Amino acid sequence: MSESAAALPHMDGATMEPSPYGVKTKKLTIWLFIASDAVTFGAILFGYSYLRVGTPDWPHPFRFSPSILNGMVMTAVLLTSSLTMLSAVEAAKAGRKASCLKWLGATIFLGIAFATLHLREWFHMFDEGWGLARNPTGGPVMFGATFFSITGLHLMHVISGVIALIVIAIGYKTSWLDQDHVETTGLYWHFVDLVWMFVFPLVYLMNAAR
Amino acid sequence: MGATHSPGMKFYVGVWIGLLCIAGVEVFVSFLGFPPHELLAILLILAFIEAGIGLLYFMHLKYERPILLWSFVLSVIFVLLMMNQIWPDAYRMVSLGRW
Repeated sequence: MSESAAALPHMDGATMEPSPYGVKTKKLTIWLFIASDAVTFGAILFGYSYLRVGTPDWPHPFRFSPSILNGMVMTAVLLTSSLTMLSAVEAAKAGRKASCLKWLGATIFLGIAFATLHLREWFHMFDEGWGLARNPTGGPVMFGATFFSITGLHLMHVISGVIALIVIAIGYKTSWLDQDHVETTGLYWHFVDLVWMFVFPLVYLMNAAR
Repeated sequence: MGATHSPGMKFYVGVWIGLLCIAGVEVFVSFLGFPPHELLAILLILAFIEAGIGLLYFMHLKYERPILLWSFVLSVIFVLLMMNQIWPDAYRMVSLGRW
């Protein structure tokens, strides 16, 4: 076998062509998922925008305190969790297992903190009379439907991410999973963070009471 | 295989501070009294800047082969652009008044 052929990936003894993307299959798969999920969030945000533009008396229920302030803290928590996730990936790449697990633990904690803050915001809104088809101000009910759908979908992604991170941490600790799994889960976690960069301004700030 | 270059944690902390600052600017401009369409444009520009920074540095697209960036990001942008056909109908609904 020539030297160039030996450098190519192999499977069951057969020589394969190198990936045109230059990444491993699991990483390419998570990128495919991220692309499809980005379109899902794009569609739901377009749906929200369509209803918002088409509804003349759209409500602006979010006062600076507590709602926008809570959203700012949630944004900071999620951004910080991306940083701790990066630290976990860097540690995994360097083979520092204990450090990786520590940073994964920090990311899980911040993910749970974000979900808790989010649910606190929801319960505050329920107390004010908002619901999927309820508007306490007597205006259009579409606000509640879109708000709880978009933030609920994002919250579901955060909770799924926390569960995935717990599984990855256990798997990595027991050497059942490797650094590539930490990296691909990290990509998903950063994506969840990026989606919030659109949800916060479009859903919270555009509906702030002025 | 894949991204092997890493700019280091100091650089990532700088990116994180930058993203926090952009989020702070978003909140600040929201209370400056811009008309809704202008505020939407400002917030969307800032959100896309944040997303771009996140994709390039946090998600390491800058250090992968360019084909990964172009094939995935451009296809998502293309689909999102196609969704813009909803606006004429949304503005038609406004003129109908309350549902």
